[in-house]
Amino acid sequence: MEARKGSRDMTVSTIGGATLTEELEARGITRRAFLAFCTSLTATLALPSVFSERIAHALENSEKPTIIWLEFQDCAGNTESFLRAHNPGVADLILDVISVDYHEVIMAAAGHQAEAAKEEAIARGGHIVIVEGSVPTAGGGVYCTIAGKTALQHLEEAAVGAAAIINVGTCSSFGGIPAASPNPTGARGVPAVISGVPILNLPGCPMNVDNLVGTIAHFVTFGALPATDSEGRPLFAYGQRIHDNCERRARFDAGQFALEWGDEGHRKGWCLYKLGCKGPSTFHNCPTQRWNMGTSWPIGAGHGCVGCSEPDFWDTMTPFYARLPKPPGFNVTTTAEQIGLGIVGATAVGFGVHGVAKVIQHSREKTEASEQSDPAEDAGEESED
Amino acid sequence: MTIQPKPASVKIEKTPPRMTVKVWELPVRITHWVIFLAVVVLSVTGFYIARPFIIVGSDPGFLMGWMRAIHNLAAWVFIAAIAARVIWSLVGNRWSRWDQFLPVSRDRRTGGGETLKYYLFMRRDPAPEIGHNPLAGLAYLAVYLMFGVQIVTGFALLGLENPGGIFYNLTGWVFDIGSIPTTRLIHHMIMWLTWGFVVHHVYSAVLVDTEARNGLISSIVTGRKEVEESLLDE
Amino acid sequence: MPRIAVDPVTRIEGHLRVEAEVDGGVVTDAWSSCTMWRGIETILKGRDPRDAWYFTQRICGVCTTVHALASVRAVENALGIVPPLNAQLLRNLIALSQYVQDHVVHFYHLHALDWVDITSALEADPEATAALASSISDYPRSSPSHFEAVKQRLTSFVEAGRLGPFAQGYWGHPAYALPPEANLMAVSHYLDALDFQRDYMRIHAILGGKNPHLQTYLVGGMAVPIDPNSQNAINATTLLQLRKLLESGLRFVTQAYIPDVLAVAPFYTDWAAIGAGLGNYMSFGDFPTGAQNPSMDRDALYLPSGVIVGNDLSQVHRLDATKITEYVAHSWYSYEGGDGSPLAPFDGETTPDYTGPEPPYEFLDTDGKYSWLKSPRYDDMPMEVGPLARMLVAYGSGHERVQQLVNSVLETLGVGPEALFSTLGRTAARAIESQVLAERSLEVLDQLTANISGGDITIHNGDLWDPESWPQTASGFGMHEAPRGSLSHWVTIADGAIDHYQIVVPSTWNAGPRDGNGARGAYESALLNTPIADPERPLEILRTVHSFDPCMACAAH
Ligand code: HEM
Ligand code: HEM
Ligand code: NFV
Ligand code: SF4
Ligand code: SF4
Ligand code: F3S
Ligand SMILES: [Mg+2]
Repeated sequence: MEARKGSRDMTVSTIGGATLTEELEARGITRRAFLAFCTSLTATLALPSVFSERIAHALENSEKPTIIWLEFQDCAGNTESFLRAHNPGVADLILDVISVDYHEVIMAAAGHQAEAAKEEAIARGGHIVIVEGSVPTAGGGVYCTIAGKTALQHLEEAAVGAAAIINVGTCSSFGGIPAASPNPTGARGVPAVISGVPILNLPGCPMNVDNLVGTIAHFVTFGALPATDSEGRPLFAYGQRIHDNCERRARFDAGQFALEWGDEGHRKGWCLYKLGCKGPSTFHNCPTQRWNMGTSWPIGAGHGCVGCSEPDFWDTMTPFYARLPKPPGFNVTTTAEQIGLGIVGATAVGFGVHGVAKVIQHSREKTEASEQSDPAEDAGEESED
Repeated sequence: MTIQPKPASVKIEKTPPRMTVKVWELPVRITHWVIFLAVVVLSVTGFYIARPFIIVGSDPGFLMGWMRAIHNLAAWVFIAAIAARVIWSLVGNRWSRWDQFLPVSRDRRTGGGETLKYYLFMRRDPAPEIGHNPLAGLAYLAVYLMFGVQIVTGFALLGLENPGGIFYNLTGWVFDIGSIPTTRLIHHMIMWLTWGFVVHHVYSAVLVDTEARNGLISSIVTGRKEVEESLLDE
Repeated sequence: MPRIAVDPVTRIEGHLRVEAEVDGGVVTDAWSSCTMWRGIETILKGRDPRDAWYFTQRICGVCTTVHALASVRAVENALGIVPPLNAQLLRNLIALSQYVQDHVVHFYHLHALDWVDITSALEADPEATAALASSISDYPRSSPSHFEAVKQRLTSFVEAGRLGPFAQGYWGHPAYALPPEANLMAVSHYLDALDFQRDYMRIHAILGGKNPHLQTYLVGGMAVPIDPNSQNAINATTLLQLRKLLESGLRFVTQAYIPDVLAVAPFYTDWAAIGAGLGNYMSFGDFPTGAQNPSMDRDALYLPSGVIVGNDLSQVHRLDATKITEYVAHSWYSYEGGDGSPLAPFDGETTPDYTGPEPPYEFLDTDGKYSWLKSPRYDDMPMEVGPLARMLVAYGSGHERVQQLVNSVLETLGVGPEALFSTLGRTAARAIESQVLAERSLEVLDQLTANISGGDITIHNGDLWDPESWPQTASGFGMHEAPRGSLSHWVTIADGAIDHYQIVVPSTWNAGPRDGNGARGAYESALLNTPIADPERPLEILRTVHSFDPCMACAAH
C-alpha cells in the first residue's frame, strides 16, 4: 500500500484496508447511530451543525489513522482520561475510528515484539504520534529510557514520516510537573525538543478526552490540525478563558464570593475568586465541555481552577490558594500585598527619619552660629554632644 | 512673611534679590493633578479587584462589575493625561521639556550631585533650581516609564477577555515573556511602587519648599515660583 | 546462562524493565528495574504545604486519589488538624470507589491478556459461550446473540488486517489454557468493563469535579460542599446518584469480575504454586470508621493493619511505622553518609546518581546500581504489599467478611490456604478485596447520609488554614493503604513552607531492587523458578509481574 506522507487530501481513500463504512456495515451499526455520533462531535469541535454531515462523510470513507502513543515522564493521567471517552467510547475508538498500534498501557505485546510493532507502524508513515509526559534532557536523557533508548531517541524516530504530533496533557505540551522548579531532570515539552512536524498541544492535567477525540475527528475530516493559539492549543477548546464562560461569573461581577470552605457562599455556589481560583488566567473549555460525560468540573464541584492548561502553571499559579503568584525571592507565605505595604511603609519611615535628621541638622547649625557670636559668655554652657 | 535676619556674625550674605517666575505652565499642572486623581481612583478600584474588601450580602448588585468599569474609565483618563504630558514635553517651556527628565546635557548629568549632597546632609540648603533638579527629573522619568508598563500590562489583562481582539493582539506578547499571573503581579506591585513614590514625592516637596522657600508646593497649582535672579541668566 | 530482558514490560503503568537468567526452562534469577524518574520530592521543597496534595497527586494518574489523600493526612498530622467526619467519609467513598475501578481495569485491561488468547475466541461457539456464562453468573449480557455480535465484531476487526493494540501478542502461546468459549466470554467482559469503569468514575466527578485527578482535597477537609437545600452542593439527588453508581460497582464485581476469576482459575491451578515470592506481607490498613487521622490511630480502621513474616498466618505483628527505612545500595541515588546503610523517611535523601550504561544499551549492570527505585525495608526485611498482603492480614486478624469470602473462593477452587501464596492467589485476592470494599462503600454512604440528616454539613476544619496559625516547625506522616499497597508520605514544615518531603510507595516496596544486604525485592523473589516455555515469548514472566499490578510512575515519583 502506498505510504502516504503528510496530511491526506479530502477525497475518498479506499486503497488497501477496508474503509470505515464496510466495517460499520459488517458490524450492523446503523447509519442513524453513526450520524448521531458525528453530530455530537461537531458540537465538541464548536463547529456549525452543517459540518456534521461533512464529518460523517469523511469518517466513513477514510482509512483508520494509525496512532502511536508514546509515554515518557508521565503519570498516565491522560491514558486514564482516554479510557473515559464516552461518545464514542474507547472500545469504539480503538476498534472503529483509529488503529492504536503502540501504547504501553493497553497493548498485548511486550519487550522487543512491542518495539517491532512500533517500528512497523512508523515505517508505513502518515501516522499520528500522541505523546504523554515530558522529555528529560539532562544527563543525556537517562531519566527516561524504554528498551534501552532515551525518550528523545524514541520521539525523533517516531516523528519521521509522521502526519502530526499531538501532545496530550501539560507535561508533553509544556514540560508539566517534571519541569516545575527546580526541574531536576531537565524536563521539556515536546515542542521544545523537536520540530519539522505539525504539532498540536492539548494541555490540561490531564487533558479532557473530548478534546482529543475532537482533534482526531477534525484531522480525519479536514486532513489537517485545527487552528491553534500562540501556545499551539486548538482554538475550539482553548480559545476562551474559564472565567469568561464560568457559571459563577455573575457572582463574580456582583461581588459575591465564597470566603471560607463550607460557608454559606461556598454552599450556594458563589465565586471562588477569594479562595484562589485561577479561572481569570486560564484558557480551557472546562465550563462548557465539562468532565466525565458532562457530569461536573472543578469549579462546579467547589474547588477553584488552578490553571492546569497554562504553561509552567506549577510555578505561575502557585500557591494555589493565593490570588497572586509568590513574588520570587520571598518565603511562600508572604503575599504581594504584604510586600506592597512593606514598600510604602518603608518609604514613609525612611523619609520620616530623613526629615527628623534635617531638623536636627538645622538646630545644630543654629546653636553653632549663636556660639560664634558670644564665645566667652556661654563657653561653659555648650556641652559637646 | 518677614525674612528671619541672619545673625550678624555669620559670614555676611546679602539676601539675593528674588523674582517670581512662571515655571509650570497650565498643561503641566493639569496633567499632574489629573494623573494624581486617576491614580487614586485606579488604586481604590484596582485594590478592590485584587482583594474585594467589601463583603456583599445576598442582594446581588454589580459591585465588581462597576469597579472594573470605573477602573477602565480611569485608565483611559490616566492614559490621556500621560499622553498630553509627553506631547507637552516637546512643545512646552524649557522647564517642561523632555531634557529635564532625560539628562542629555553634561551639566544635567553632573548637576544632580548638589541635590544628592543636600539629601545626604552634606549641604545645608537645597541646590537652587528653577524646574526639576536632575535627580527629580530622573525620578519622574522612572515614574512615567513605570506608568508605561502599567498601561501595557493593563491592556494585556484587558485583552484576555477577547483573545484575537485589538488589545490581545497589541499586548498579548506580554504573556509570552512572563505569564498571565506574573503580569497580574507586576500590575499589582506597580500600584504599591506608585504610592511609595508619592510618599517620597510629597515629603521632598514639603522639605524643599520649607528650605528653599520658593513656593514649590503652590507652584504645581499656581505655576509660579520665587527664585533668585542669578539663576535666571544661566 | 542465557539472559533475557523484557523492556518495556507493557500493560502496567510506567516504565519497567525486567531482566532474568533462564536455565533448564525456569527463571534462576531476576532483576527489576524502573527506567524513569521525575523527582517530585525534590520539586516539593519550599512550596506551600496546602498545595502539596495537588503536586503529589500527579505522581500517578492511575491511582489518582491515593497520593492526594496521603499528603493531606501527612500535613494534617504535622499541624495537628482533624478533618470533620463528613470529610473523612467522603475520602473513604472516593478511596473505596478508586479501588473498585482500579482493580477492574487491572484485571480486564492489563492482566487478562496474559490468560486470555483473543485469537482463539474467533473459533468460539456463541451458544456454548452463553451456556458457560449463565452457568457461572446471572450477568445480563450473556445471550447467544450477544456473543455472536461480539464474535462478529472481533472477526471483522481481525480480518481488516489492522490488529492495533493486539498486534504481535503471544497468541497461540502454549501457556494459554482456556477453551475458545472462555476466551470469547472474557473478550465480551473486557469490552463491557471499559464502559463500566467510565460510568462508575462519575462518582469521582460528582465528589471531585473530574477524574482522573480529582480537584477536591483540602488540608483540613474537602472542597465539595454539602447542603440538602442547595443545588450547588451534595444534596438528596447527588446521594441517590452516588448510591446507584456504587451499586453498579458491586454488581459488576459480583456478577462479572469474581465469576470470571473463578471460571479462569481452574484452567491455571499450576499457577497456585508459582510466584509466591517473599512470604512477608505488610498492610497499613485503612478506611477509618471515625474522624481520627489514620496515621495516628490505627485501631478504628475497617481493614486492619499488620505485618506477616514467613507465610505465618497465625501471627499478625503490630505495625510500627518507625521501622520503615529505604536503601539505595542498588538504586541510582547516593546518600551523603554512604549507600551502605538505609535512611528513615524523615531523614530521607533523593539525590540522583545515574551509574547505569549510556543509552542505547542492551543489558544493565545488575551487580551495581540498576533502578530508579529505592529499596524500602520494614525492620530491615523486604515486604510484599498490596491485595494479597491486605487479605492475609485481614484474614489473620479475624476480619469476618474477608474470612467468609476467602474461604468460599478456596472451597470453590478446591484448594487450601497455601494456594494464596502465589500469582493465582494474588490475582484472586484482588478480586475478593474488590467485593469486600464495594460492599463497604454502600455502608459508608449510609453513614454519610445519616450524619447529614443529623444536621452536620461541615466539610472543612479551617481553624489552622492560615499559615500564621502554624508552629514555626512541624513534621508528620500520612499513611494510606492504596490499591497497590502501603503508601506513606513524610513531611517537615518550616516557616510555613515544605522543608523536606519523602514518599515511600507500594510499588517501590514490591518492584524495588536488591537492598544493602543483597536481599531481592518482591518481584525479583516471586519470579524465581517461573517456568519459561519460550524465552523469546516470556508470557510467564508477565503473568507474575502483572499479578502485582505494577505502577512505576508511583514507584519512582
Ligand atoms: C497607576 C495606574 C494603575 C493602578 C494603580 C492599577 C491598579 C490595579 C490593581 C491593583 C489591579 C488588581 C491586580 C490584581 O491583583 O489582580 C488592577 C487590575 C487591572 N487593571 Fe489596573 N491599574 C492601573 C492602571 C491600569 C491601566 C492603565 C489599565 C489599562 C487598561 C488597567 C487595567 C486593568 C485591568 C484590565 C485589570 C484586571 C481586572 C481583572 O482581572 O478583572 N489598569 N489594576
Ligand atoms: C500619583 C501621584 C502623583 C504623581 C504621579 C506625581 C508626579 C509628579 C510629576 C511627574 C511631577 C513633575 C511635573 C512634570 O514636569 O510633569 C510632579 C511635580 C510636582 N508634584 Fe506631584 N505627583 C503626584 C502627587 C502629588 C501630590 C499629592 C503632591 C502634593 C504635595 C504633589 C506635589 C508636586 C509638586 C509640588 C511638584 C512640582 C515639583 C517641582 O517643582 O520640582 N504631587 N509630580
Ligand atoms: N504503587 C502505587 Fe500507586 C497505587 N495504588 C500508589 O501509591 O499506583 Ni499509580
Ligand atoms: S499533564 Fe498531568 S495528568 Fe498528564 S502526565 Fe502530566 S501530570 Fe499526569
Ligand atoms: S469561580 Fe473562578 S472562573 Fe468562575 S467566575 Fe469566579 S474567579 Fe472566575
Ligand atoms: S484546573 Fe484544569 S481542569 Fe479546567 S477548571 Fe482549571 S483548567
Ligand atoms: Mg521516595
